[in-house]
Amino acid sequence: MDLTLLPQALVSGVLAAGLYALVAVGLALAIGVIGIVNFAHGEFFMVGAFLAYQLFVSFGFDPLLSILFVAPVLFLIGAALYASTIRFVLKAPELNQMLLTFGIGIVLQNLALMIWGGDPRSIGGVPYRAMGLQVGDVSVGLVPLGSFAISVLLVAGLYVVLARTPLGRAMRAVAQNRVGAGLVGLEVNRVYLVAFGLSALLAGIGGVMIAVIQSPTPTVGLAYTLKAFAIVVLAGLGNVRGIVSAAIVVALAESLVATLVPNGDSLRNAVFFALILGTLVYRSWRRT
Amino acid sequence: MRRRGPWLDLLAAAAFVALLAALPAVLRAAYGQASVSYLALGIRAIGLAVLALSWDLVARTGQLSLAHAAFYGAGAYTAAVLLKLTGAPLWLGIPLAGAVAAVLALGLGAATLRLYGIYFAIATLAFAEVLKTVVKSLPFAIAGGSVGTNLPPLFRPEFVAGAMERWEVAFLRNRGYFLVYLGLLALAIVVSVLVQRSRLRHAFTAVRTNEFVAGVMGVNPARTKLAAFVISSAVVGMLGAIEAHRFGSVNPDATFSVHTTVLALVTPIFGGLYTTVGPILAALVLSGVEETLKRTLSDGYLVAYGVVLVVSILFMPRGLVGLFRGLARRGRARARAEATRPEPVGGADA
Repeated sequence: MDLTLLPQALVSGVLAAGLYALVAVGLALAIGVIGIVNFAHGEFFMVGAFLAYQLFVSFGFDPLLSILFVAPVLFLIGAALYASTIRFVLKAPELNQMLLTFGIGIVLQNLALMIWGGDPRSIGGVPYRAMGLQVGDVSVGLVPLGSFAISVLLVAGLYVVLARTPLGRAMRAVAQNRVGAGLVGLEVNRVYLVAFGLSALLAGIGGVMIAVIQSPTPTVGLAYTLKAFAIVVLAGLGNVRGIVSAAIVVALAESLVATLVPNGDSLRNAVFFALILGTLVYRSWRRT
Repeated sequence: MRRRGPWLDLLAAAAFVALLAALPAVLRAAYGQASVSYLALGIRAIGLAVLALSWDLVARTGQLSLAHAAFYGAGAYTAAVLLKLTGAPLWLGIPLAGAVAAVLALGLGAATLRLYGIYFAIATLAFAEVLKTVVKSLPFAIAGGSVGTNLPPLFRPEFVAGAMERWEVAFLRNRGYFLVYLGLLALAIVVSVLVQRSRLRHAFTAVRTNEFVAGVMGVNPARTKLAAFVISSAVVGMLGAIEAHRFGSVNPDATFSVHTTVLALVTPIFGGLYTTVGPILAALVLSGVEETLKRTLSDGYLVAYGVVLVVSILFMPRGLVGLFRGLARRGRARARAEATRPEPVGGADA
């Protein structure tokens, strides 16, 4: 174990947490407001990544600029999926809901596979990709730093929207009592549509940022679905502030094991999932 | 609903399996050399049916398990590691694979079966990912790390000095696998029928519908769920071991692929959950669809699987079986209406 790497591991962990929180907060919105368990959430993330990639390759769009395009497109995709499928299973058993979204995930993932193939695609040639800051022993890439900042802004923005705006009030009302909200004149279905679109939008922006940091493949979605679920489960449903701290816990654990344990990089995933499994088992036993 | 014992269904299943057992001979007589690839398609369909029946067993207790790939992989690796370490007879690996998968399921189930819905699903999926990583980090000499390792085939028909052609050797090998898969399918059917046509069905349904009430009524929910989970995993573990021999190798990413889990749940849903006929029917239909799609689309033929899943949840929530039952009921109603036409309207409702 090399403790001189500790500061670097801490910084990397916190920076990664921003992206995790962004993806998880979208999922929490779908679960909390609509009550739909969306197994296709990571696929929105993946679609965002590949859209950014394609815009860069075809038109030379800067990934940062492409967020302006990707975000509305993802909102529309989410809204369309809600209107055409999700809407019809809201009252169905939970199993059917999960299977439906699982199916949507399979479709999106394999469509991406058909379009872009299975090889990783990366956005090379963005001028600021290799830039970074050096503070003592710690080096910070400009891109992770920027994506952290954007994530923080968006998560905070969502928090403000939920807390302060009429739309947020409507979402909270619907989440608390769908029938009551309907009785006082809220268009419940429209609120759900917007919430699901927003959820997809947040994931999609996360995807744009991962397209710059890593080289995404069509199967990257599932990993992020799982990570988002883990964070939501750690935080407890419907708890935005909890999600941020849960994301930090998970990302730090991952980063610490990856840098401090010898050969730790291959254990990255195992740490993550072991943490989920552990939390779930702990919760199930504590309840009784 | 009419009540009946399992005997009629078991008899029908025995007839179905006996019919399938005769298939290799029929195919050989009818298609000669081409029978090899037809037989291979049959093997895939039966494997899918086994996977689907075993997943459905867990679903009957109301749990969405996403760990099927884990037990499949555990079975496959048990067979591989056993051979590597001891050189024990090939066939010993199959029941042992079932046993190892069952023990893993016992552990995982005991820890997680108190979780509901989404939490259980996530826990099982996480377990599958952890197990994959664990297998990757086993010593290279035992499991081959991320590369995997090779296994010999279960059947080795010999070339007898040109007396047998190449395709005949392949045919004999495929026929061997076909019969072994069929044996496993027979086991899966017997389990499924016994659960469906005995008092156990009520225990399963009670636990699925309302665990608390089931407990009050004297059904032990934890034990019922655990039993379904363990039996299901044992079957999948054996399937994994047999397929590992058939493919000739195991490797962590392919053997523990989420794809296996997806197939395990799509098939029974498409066919009709909580039935025995549904998963088998769906396996036959879907493996035909898959074969056709694979020939026409190189990448992403799984899109069709996803579409099948989405469409069947939306339009046939009870699967093929429910669709047929609905049609049959409508047909009967119409027949009754015809028969009673001269009478007042009220007569048709009785």
